[in-house]
Amino acid sequence: MDICSWARQIASGSREEALSEILQYMQLEFFHSNNMVFSPELEVSVRSWILTVGEVDRGVDRKKLWHSEIFLLKQNLPPLPRRLFEFTMLSSRIMPRAAAPVRSALKAHTNLPRFVQFSRAYASSADEKDLVIIGGGVAGYVAAIKAGQEGLKVTCIEKRGVLGGTCLNVGCIPSKSLLNNSHMYHAIKHDTKQRGIVGVEGVSFDLAKMMKAKDTSVTSLTNGIEFLFKKNGVEYLKGAGSFVNEHEIKVDLNDGGETSVSGKNIIIATGSEATPFPGLEIDEQRVITSTGALSLEKVPESMVVIGGGIIGLEMGSVWSRLGSKVTVVEFLNQIGGPGMDAEISKASLKTLKKQGIDFKLGTKVLGGDPSGDKIKLQVDAAKGGKEETIEADVVLVAIGRRPYTAGLGLENIGMELDERSRVIIDQEYRTKVPHIRCIGDVTFGPMLAHKAEEEAVAAVEYISKGYGHVNYGVIPSVMYTYPEVAWVGQNEAELKASDTAYRIGTFPFSANSRAKTNLDTEGMVKIIACPETDRLLGVHIIGPNAGEMIAEAALALEYGASSEDIARTCHAHPTLSEAFKEAAMATYSKAIHF
Amino acid sequence: MGRPSHNSGYRTSAACLAASNFTMPALSPTMTEGNITTWKLKEGDSYAAGDVLLEIETDKATMDVEAQDEGILMKITQADRTKAVKVGSRIAVIAESGDDISALEMPPDETPAPIPEKKESPPPSSAEPKSESSPKKNESPKKPAAPQTYPLFPAVKQLMKQKGVEDSEVSKMTPTGPKGRLLKGDVLAYLGLLDSNSPKVVQARFEKLSHLDLSNVKPIPAKGAPKKVEEKKAAPPAPPLIEKLDVALAISLAPVLEAQKRLKDTLGVDMPLSSFISRATDVANDGLPLPASYKPTADELFDQVLGLDSLPKSSKGVYLPQITALPPAEKRTPRAAPSTKPDIIDILAGSPKRITPKPMQSTVAFTTGTNVFILSVPKAEEKRAKVFLERVKVVLENEPGRLVL
Ligand SMILES: Cc1cc2nc3c(=O)[nH]c(=O)nc-3n(C[C@H](O)[C@H](O)[C@H](O)COP(=O)(O)OP(=O)(O)OC[C@H]3O[C@@H](n4cnc5c(N)ncnc54)[C@H](O)[C@@H]3O)c2cc1C
Repeated sequence: MDICSWARQIASGSREEALSEILQYMQLEFFHSNNMVFSPELEVSVRSWILTVGEVDRGVDRKKLWHSEIFLLKQNLPPLPRRLFEFTMLSSRIMPRAAAPVRSALKAHTNLPRFVQFSRAYASSADEKDLVIIGGGVAGYVAAIKAGQEGLKVTCIEKRGVLGGTCLNVGCIPSKSLLNNSHMYHAIKHDTKQRGIVGVEGVSFDLAKMMKAKDTSVTSLTNGIEFLFKKNGVEYLKGAGSFVNEHEIKVDLNDGGETSVSGKNIIIATGSEATPFPGLEIDEQRVITSTGALSLEKVPESMVVIGGGIIGLEMGSVWSRLGSKVTVVEFLNQIGGPGMDAEISKASLKTLKKQGIDFKLGTKVLGGDPSGDKIKLQVDAAKGGKEETIEADVVLVAIGRRPYTAGLGLENIGMELDERSRVIIDQEYRTKVPHIRCIGDVTFGPMLAHKAEEEAVAAVEYISKGYGHVNYGVIPSVMYTYPEVAWVGQNEAELKASDTAYRIGTFPFSANSRAKTNLDTEGMVKIIACPETDRLLGVHIIGPNAGEMIAEAALALEYGASSEDIARTCHAHPTLSEAFKEAAMATYSKAIHF
Repeated sequence: MGRPSHNSGYRTSAACLAASNFTMPALSPTMTEGNITTWKLKEGDSYAAGDVLLEIETDKATMDVEAQDEGILMKITQADRTKAVKVGSRIAVIAESGDDISALEMPPDETPAPIPEKKESPPPSSAEPKSESSPKKNESPKKPAAPQTYPLFPAVKQLMKQKGVEDSEVSKMTPTGPKGRLLKGDVLAYLGLLDSNSPKVVQARFEKLSHLDLSNVKPIPAKGAPKKVEEKKAAPPAPPLIEKLDVALAISLAPVLEAQKRLKDTLGVDMPLSSFISRATDVANDGLPLPASYKPTADELFDQVLGLDSLPKSSKGVYLPQITALPPAEKRTPRAAPSTKPDIIDILAGSPKRITPKPMQSTVAFTTGTNVFILSVPKAEEKRAKVFLERVKVVLENEPGRLVL
């Protein structure tokens, strides 16, 4: 193998081929001297090492090279073969002058050693990334991949140790795993007789395995993102980032030590955390947030959920199905949180009650005492009712989430937050400092993964193309209880509040043939349209598969469809989606089957 | 000759499905107009991404415009040698590859008509006049926007048939849907069946909803915690310009080379010099005195408030010295300057024989292995950096053997 020819290859642009050749060569050498093959991790670091070396020719200073070597050494590996090192040295000398790998030429060129020259000329400029992203949650990782695809030099900093953020690790994904499996168990237990399924009387579950199934789903997805990072050339720094100044970010590496990166553009995507309940300290064993609720080791006899929003109801459902006596305490008189249509919310309350969950609405938790065997909560009926104490083995605090910016060093850049700690942005996601943008849960708008994802793409497009867009009027919401609740667009209360006239059409699943054959007929589709123009204003669904069906509503809304347009679109028979079509018919004229 | 890749030229006209206007690109931020030198393709030619479409001349340079995507050059509207074509005005019409261009409608020219100053010779393209006139007709009635090239929505078609509205009348209606789509309400309004303003009211509502609601944002002062310590540091938000300073120290690498040789001879292990150095920097980076400008983190302050912990006196550094064999330039901090020594690369590359050390002029004595380690740091870190270099020196010169493990 000829080191010089690689060097020339790299310098002349056939980087990829040269790099893979070098990798192969290093693997061989490593095998010969250590009788070991590269572990996957080592391969990654060697690869990045090669890349760094490759970048030396582009004028990046030596720092990075040292860094990656230290990194290799930290892994307590047998020293890499000496020739590798020589290669580094040689290539770094030759590459800047690709055509003439001649030492004397170098000497003639300057009498300053190359090292110094590099650092003087380029250290600050060439080292700068086009984009540095803090946070590898949905917002951050999507932005990173998109930026990679747009050809930006991008670094993503994540401190969790895995990518995917709340959503993949302790949010959407694990909760849906538990929801699905607990639902299957519950259905087998309670919903087989009328279907003629027998022999499942003693059905039970293995909680540890259920958790394992959840973890498997999570890991396969988070690893998938790491792969996508590699594929799209995203540099991934495992560590906590904090602003040193408006361009530079210090990273406390998870493996110890620290480094720093600077970026022409920076995106803050540090997400959110559960809002704690004043006076009740979270230990994630007995007083838990959704994170603890996703990995309880045993089913608590009783559980009180403070907060009847989506997360509280989803996690409450899981543990109720698995046998816990669940009580939901909600301050408002309605469950489901903001956005859910009142009529749908009532229907949902009815079915959840039927499933065995207790509700105390309009009730305020005054304080708690976890000192005894059971946790005691004092609650007060919000409207002058009498105070009482309720007891539970586990209390789930689900009163909402708040933006997370701890340790981010925002004070070092004078960043502005609003009263609810959201980072203040403009319509282009720019903060007070224009090259620093902010997306996802840590800023305005609904705290939803798909919203974060859309913003990620838009923010990167603002950087790379000068324009991006998210249609905030068409962001669907789904609650994955049974049955599911889903909506998009406006609800009745919002339309009333803005004095907008509307017309409603509904269709119950009890009149839908597929729901009937499934013996699963709870719920309805409710469509809201402009009474004059018939343009769709909102769609609200409670029922089996509502979360999938809402996609059609979002599409219709995005295209400005009228309810008649939907009604005139053919829907397959027998499907649940016919209920959607019939509700549209009911909106502009009349449903056929009701 | 530059060769910018043409990014922004494809301005798809709002109402057009497949054929779009190709406009004069801005090849530099200051370019306002350009001359078309030659088209490299003929009408009807297909091109792939990266193909050169045409050559443009500005007052500064002549440049090729490359295609960003594949497609078909459907029509050239500004022929070769057209002068002073304004940036953003249409110069051609393009279609997506695979389209049957004979079946495609020409999109209207949405841009201010170019003012061709003079054509040096009449354009050879015979189709030209036609192409110039047809889009103009569509353009004239400004309000009822571009013709609907999207398939009409089912309710729209139904209504038109029901009410006997001719297809051609579509262009007289005012679409209020996203991307200029014609909605059922627009037909109703056209027919006078509802207040002609109603669709626009709904449209405005959607437009509003489509944006994040950032009205009523209530900023809070940068950091509200009324902590004494915090107030001190709330002072100026990170000075953008940090004065840098070079701190340097001569360090002999001879002991390291010796240790390396011993290692090789006794254990048969090759340990590169870089490993010695990086391990030495690692050791030296531990527990360095804080920079003069050190600001405690929010967590540290919080811990302090709780009485859990006092502020740290030292912290781990991230220094990585630049190593040079030559004395650094004059403006650097004064120090015992070494003069000539071998190029570190030569040492690292394992060919120290090639080095011919020159006699040194300074008072400091050198061995073959002496080099200058330099750190470039903010002024406030001068002490910190010095401590670091001293440590590196001690480790490398006195106990390199310790670095082997
Ligand atoms: C139980 C639960 C269920 C949910 N279910 C759904 C659902 O079904 N559908 C839905 O749409 N949404 C759901 N969500 C909400 C969804 O998870 C969030 O909207 C989404 O994760 C937001 O993405 P993000 O990238 O903004 O923030 P996050 O996902 O929170 O990611 C931020 C990341 O930044 C990292 N970070 C923070 N500070 C630093 C720093 N200084 N340096 C380095 N890294 C840092 C954090 O470690 C974190 O990984 C759920 C949330 C929960 C808690």
